[in-house]
Amino acid sequence: MAAEANTQAPLPSGQRSTAEVLRTVFGPVVQLFLFIIGSAVTLGLIVVLLALLQIGTRPDILTRTLTILPQVWIDGMVRGFLFATIALGYTMVYGVLEFINFAHGEIFMVGGVAGAAVGLFLANNELLKGMNGFFFVLLVVGVAMAVSGTLAVTVERVAYRPLRGAPRLVPLISAIGVSLVLQDLVRLMMTNSDLGFNARFNTPDFGKPIRLFEMTLGERPVPVILSPKALIFIVASIVMLVVLNYLVNATRLGKAIRATAQDMPTASLMGINVNRIVAMTFLIGGALGGAAGALFGLNVGTVNPYMGFIPGLKAFTAAVLGGIGNITGAMVGGVVLGFLEAFVASYLSLFTDGALSGAAYADIAAFSILILILIFRPSGLLGEATTQKV
Amino acid sequence: MTSTISSEGLWDRFRGMLSRGPTAYGFLGLYAAVCSWLLITNPRTSLSTDVVFVLLLLLLLFIYRSQVALPFRVGLVAILLGVIIPYFGTLNPFYIDVATQAGIFVALALGLNVVVGFAGLLDLGFVAFFAVGAYFWGILSTTQIAAFNPAWGPVPPILFYPFILLGLLLGAITGVLLGLPVLRLRGDYLAIVTLGFGEVIRVLANNLDRPINITNGSQGIRDIERPPLIFTDFVRGTLGWQLDDQQLYQQFFYFVVLLIVLVTVVIVSRLKLSRIGRAWEAIREDETAAIAQGIPLVRTKLLAFAVGASFAGAMGVVFASKQLFINPPTFDLLRSINILAMVILGGMGSIPGVILGAVLVTLLDLQLLPRTAAVLRDLQKSGVPIPEAFDPTQYQRLFFGLLLILMMIFRPSGIMPDERHKGELSEVAATRSRGRGEQDQQGGSEA
Amino acid sequence: MALLEAKNITKTFGGLTAVNDVTLSVEQGRIISVIGPNGAGKTTFFNMLTGIYKPDKGTITFDGKSIAGRKPNDIAALGIRRTFQNIRLFNNMTVLENVLVGMHTHLHAPFWQILTKLGGVQREEAEARKRARERLAYVGLDAQREELAKNLPYGDQRRLEIARALAGEPRLILLDEPTAGMNPQETDAATLLIQRLRDELKLTVVLIEHDMRLVMSISERISVLDYGTKIAEGDAQVIRSNPRVIEAYLGKGAAGAAAGPSVA
Repeated sequence: MAAEANTQAPLPSGQRSTAEVLRTVFGPVVQLFLFIIGSAVTLGLIVVLLALLQIGTRPDILTRTLTILPQVWIDGMVRGFLFATIALGYTMVYGVLEFINFAHGEIFMVGGVAGAAVGLFLANNELLKGMNGFFFVLLVVGVAMAVSGTLAVTVERVAYRPLRGAPRLVPLISAIGVSLVLQDLVRLMMTNSDLGFNARFNTPDFGKPIRLFEMTLGERPVPVILSPKALIFIVASIVMLVVLNYLVNATRLGKAIRATAQDMPTASLMGINVNRIVAMTFLIGGALGGAAGALFGLNVGTVNPYMGFIPGLKAFTAAVLGGIGNITGAMVGGVVLGFLEAFVASYLSLFTDGALSGAAYADIAAFSILILILIFRPSGLLGEATTQKV
Repeated sequence: MTSTISSEGLWDRFRGMLSRGPTAYGFLGLYAAVCSWLLITNPRTSLSTDVVFVLLLLLLLFIYRSQVALPFRVGLVAILLGVIIPYFGTLNPFYIDVATQAGIFVALALGLNVVVGFAGLLDLGFVAFFAVGAYFWGILSTTQIAAFNPAWGPVPPILFYPFILLGLLLGAITGVLLGLPVLRLRGDYLAIVTLGFGEVIRVLANNLDRPINITNGSQGIRDIERPPLIFTDFVRGTLGWQLDDQQLYQQFFYFVVLLIVLVTVVIVSRLKLSRIGRAWEAIREDETAAIAQGIPLVRTKLLAFAVGASFAGAMGVVFASKQLFINPPTFDLLRSINILAMVILGGMGSIPGVILGAVLVTLLDLQLLPRTAAVLRDLQKSGVPIPEAFDPTQYQRLFFGLLLILMMIFRPSGIMPDERHKGELSEVAATRSRGRGEQDQQGGSEA
Repeated sequence: MALLEAKNITKTFGGLTAVNDVTLSVEQGRIISVIGPNGAGKTTFFNMLTGIYKPDKGTITFDGKSIAGRKPNDIAALGIRRTFQNIRLFNNMTVLENVLVGMHTHLHAPFWQILTKLGGVQREEAEARKRARERLAYVGLDAQREELAKNLPYGDQRRLEIARALAGEPRLILLDEPTAGMNPQETDAATLLIQRLRDELKLTVVLIEHDMRLVMSISERISVLDYGTKIAEGDAQVIRSNPRVIEAYLGKGAAGAAAGPSVA
């Protein structure tokens, strides 16, 4: 798209067979599923093992561990896809500009708030009741993508582009500034509207939670449930990941993006409008972040102007975990981190008998992983080692 | 055209008169006298007093910039900081508190400047070291210490003084412990990891009330001990100043902070001009070239981290004691950003710049924003459409965020850049004015 | 005994062998050149000598001590200093400070002395400044000592890099394309300077250079790298008439026709 400058007919070698396109698009998705299953099984085995170690002193612990396990898996999937979709924005921008877009968490937040605003508007106009759930999700996600995508491009134009070529820390500091400004601007707008600081995310009725199956452990039956909203989240994320893979690996725009990421000066010599590609990268990353924000708000039920910060940090961790700059890596990193967090959050209090709060220490676990990965494998799970040029 | 040139010449001559020669002595002396007189005769908190107070602080900058005899400059600064401001503080406690707060942040900003400005390592979790120092004194000087061993009681308050040094040491140790694993990382990764570390410290402070209650969690620590006022008799008896305990503590903390700031300034200036300071700057400029000169990378960076963190640790002890109460939100990311904004505003690597930045940001925080808020409220009442929920004091992120972005885009080297850049800047100014001169000539020929 | 001895060193990046089984020995007080087409592995070879890369195979000894795989700062402290192909000065520091940084390994004032200004620190600092200015005067930059390094003209930046390397009082100095981008007059001045380093300061010099006139005029021995392998070694006469060298520079078939790579 951006390479339209040389509007030649596509070269024969540029045409790829359908099978090849399918492979490049779905290959990463398959890889992702392998990692999902791998993390789920590994972590599941670890908690069972830990439960067995404690079974002498606490006889009921194995039952309790197994009872919550399916729910933790679902939770891990939701968190994982959340981090994955946000991490994509970090990793795409990093791939092209070698720059950590610190404000990306806020782009995510803006998507959530935009979604909540749409929900509120519909509710105020009595349109929400009886609205088709599928249509609602499409609408909310669409608006969030448009708003966040536009915002990301604007931010790049205003606060990052003038600093291209400056020492590394300069745009990073500017990005931190953008992050703070966005938090407070959105807060100002929310508190001066009907949304309020903690805005409710109005949705139509999505129906009852889906009972996947029932387990009878011990005396009582325990149902394993999947809320429709979580299901929407997971399905929508997978669709977005597939579309993104198609976009990056099988289109002209994708080729131009990859070329720019490889070598910006050379790409520009090849007739690629580098500024436009950078803007497109921010647009795509921002739109994905916005969609994630809307889906997250929908899933959790409320949004607030500071909600982007911690998920943003964790998504960055996920991007580093998977190998920053690598799109499949960001997804894999997100999913692995999501599972890890879900397990720490659910099992830490259980295994320490309530002494340590799992929710608080899940954050610490995430940052510890970030530090460990950066020290021992800075290239991430899927990244390639890079050597410094002298 | 001729008028602009001659007015510029006039302005330069005017500035020269104010900063050099006998006129400069007169100007500075008169300025100091007028400001002091205005403050002391009219100490009520008001906008006009705010302005005079800021003018007085600005005078310190003029004195620093002027070219008069050193003893005169030192003497004038000593009178202003050592006599005028403390005396004014007995008349109006608000302003001496502002001055003390500014001093605390000057020391913190100078510490961060060692890490960010000298060594070029972006540390976004700097407040963690401050928290470590504050909790150190907070826990040990209160009954909170019983968490470790029910038999232990709080340390005697007189130990406050050695604890400042212990806080310094503890800060340095924490800096090294954090630095050891992360200092091999590239600059932008380091920023994120230190940010994560800052959050970890805050989360720990928030959650270490279980299983054993070390930090008292989100409740924070109350009734932190202050040192006994050993000089009460001297002040009330010998000097004849009838100050209550509250006022005496304000004076006390003002002078403690002032002393620490002075020591800090001396230390960072000496380090900057030593082999160590040069090694830091070399690393900032080019790591590969630095290591090729025989500079050990990790050890030198660790030293920067430790030195920066040690000031924060020591100030943490003083801060906890001054505030009497600390809790986790005191040490959130915004505080780290706040300190970073001071360094960036003033000029990374520039000691006078960073001091100026810290003072300006503190004034913005404590004086300008509340004043603007009051003005906005009045405007609102008179019917000007200003969003009701907009209270500038509640929107610090907005202001600091804007500050960071604008500084990076328009003046990344700060408002008072490192002295060394002077030559370069004047060169730029020279080419600019030359360009302007040519334009003027063209304009003239056209006319 | 040779001052520097690199034996059979090899370095690969991924599938690419950048330096393949290269042996080089440098006697005290010599000027040795390493030449070869672009991408022949010359800079990688330097990076191994200075510790930036660790060789996959082979040994490097300097003054009898093994240095292969040691940290760059340790190697610099032992007395090997270098300049860089793409000038790497400390841009926002002054010319004098750049040279003072070069002296880092010779300054030992402890931390407490720096803070208190007690003990020998002030004397050491004054002495260092004096020596730094001598170094600057030696390369002809004393007048510019208060300028920022980035504001120097190109040729002066190259000379400043040499002054900074000299400040470490090395026994061996490695110059990576010291005349790249210079005009003929500047190149002549640089040639003279390199000769003075050896004749007056008794330094041992190894240089990477593309300017054949310079290489042929001052090198006592020349080693030629091509595709990471040493293909020839000897004095200017030998190299000039070596068919493999001509082939490496001018391609196959040219070996017979051309007299030699006069200026590559």
